[in-house]
Amino acid sequence: MRWSSVLVRQASRLFTLPAAISASMALAETAFITCQNGEELSRIDLSEMQETARWPLPGKPAGVAAGLDGTLFTVSPDSKTVRRLSSETGETIAQVVLDGGPIGIVLDSTGGRVFVSDWYNARLWVLDGENLEVLTELPTGTAPAGIAISADGRFLASANKDADQVSVFDAETLQSRHRITVGIRPFGLRFAPDGRLFVGNVGSNDVSVIDVDTGTVTATVPVGERPYGIAFAQGHAFVTNQYANTLSVFSLKTLEHEALIEVGEYPEGIDATARQDLVVVANWFDNTVSIVDPKALSVIETIETCDGPRAFGSFLKGGRQ
Amino acid sequence: MNRRVLLVTTAALLVPGMVWAHGPTRQKVTLTAEVAASPEEVWTVVGNFDDMSWHPAVFATEGKGGNEIDATRLLTLGQEDGPTIDEVLYKFSDDKMSYSYRITDVAVEVLPVTNYSSHLTVKPRDGGGSIIEWRGAFYRGYPNNDPPAELNDEAAIAAVTGVYQAGLDALVERFGAAS
Repeated sequence: MRWSSVLVRQASRLFTLPAAISASMALAETAFITCQNGEELSRIDLSEMQETARWPLPGKPAGVAAGLDGTLFTVSPDSKTVRRLSSETGETIAQVVLDGGPIGIVLDSTGGRVFVSDWYNARLWVLDGENLEVLTELPTGTAPAGIAISADGRFLASANKDADQVSVFDAETLQSRHRITVGIRPFGLRFAPDGRLFVGNVGSNDVSVIDVDTGTVTATVPVGERPYGIAFAQGHAFVTNQYANTLSVFSLKTLEHEALIEVGEYPEGIDATARQDLVVVANWFDNTVSIVDPKALSVIETIETCDGPRAFGSFLKGGRQ
Repeated sequence: MNRRVLLVTTAALLVPGMVWAHGPTRQKVTLTAEVAASPEEVWTVVGNFDDMSWHPAVFATEGKGGNEIDATRLLTLGQEDGPTIDEVLYKFSDDKMSYSYRITDVAVEVLPVTNYSSHLTVKPRDGGGSIIEWRGAFYRGYPNNDPPAELNDEAAIAAVTGVYQAGLDALVERFGAAS
């Protein structure tokens, strides 16, 4: 994003929001880290580079989805609870207990829906984004875990871990479009800005690159041991290697390996800011987040967080158009 | 509950209690103790990788390489000729008062875990004294599905918790409980 557009946006928010303080809050890049062991949610301000709140969040939370407008959703697999939270206070606004094994979550920012994967029952739940009522269910392959929606809102995808498969749906009509065989035990996945779908295969230590229009795997990129999550910034893909304590970095253009970045131990959830100026990684064993400069390809900050951070999903909000 | 040991948390990866189709999940144990002595004082005792004499279960420590990365130590437990554990140091910071190590060799009969790594950290405590945190991540001793009871997740967690508890209890004994 250009500086000029940031300033324009800042000015317009100053006039439309009731208080200047709200405007600065809305603009701040903020990370929401789900901590499974500590059963807490940690809020980290990325301009201040510090934790600004830590709220109780029961049920061993893992999945998280932060919306563009401050909406925030979490999944607690142990209590099978999906919550909609206030990103200002951490208070629960709505919640639902689902019958199954909810894990991954993603928002449909245009349609007001929330999609949740059911690890036990090979399906996705489609929830109303306001009250979390179940609207419908979509069948997938066995053990769907990671779940993602394309930037243009056209496609919804899940990584079906025990089926070695990805399900792709038309996000609008909810019709099944493809079931695509990928590497071994796909877990995390994300759409790149150019629309391609990247899927980390924890069993084969590689990333499958998918053309979602044709439903074909166009490339397979080797990464480190046990790739868990994927994020994109500055023309690079960043993959957390859970067992190697590193990020693999490869070029979105050439798919060639570019760098290996040492992060904390057992890196899991990963996300990039909308401005693509930071990549944030949750380190499950260290109880830290690593902040990576995606241009310099180096860690610039390590911030303490709650016990057992997973941050499985899109956990950054703010700074977006 | 023992008030000297404040916090015990454990959890399986992602979905505790879930039966994974592909073997065991990584477990995590964190124990914390608060003592009256300053962090510097505590670190002087626990902050040498080649000296684990502060732990009551350790009969002898044979270290190579001091506190350098990749230094090793051989712990002998209980008595001369007791069971042993081989460990390697992979992080060390006097500034942060923290070190991290892995077990490179141990019989599952001695400690029913595999792929074990651990952090030991001393931090200042609000109101004086120190917080000693001992954290471990590991897999159970049995690598496949359907483990026998003595090698399952619960057994692994119980064993590591027991080791940490004994060590921290001894440090509380030595330095006094924080008040």
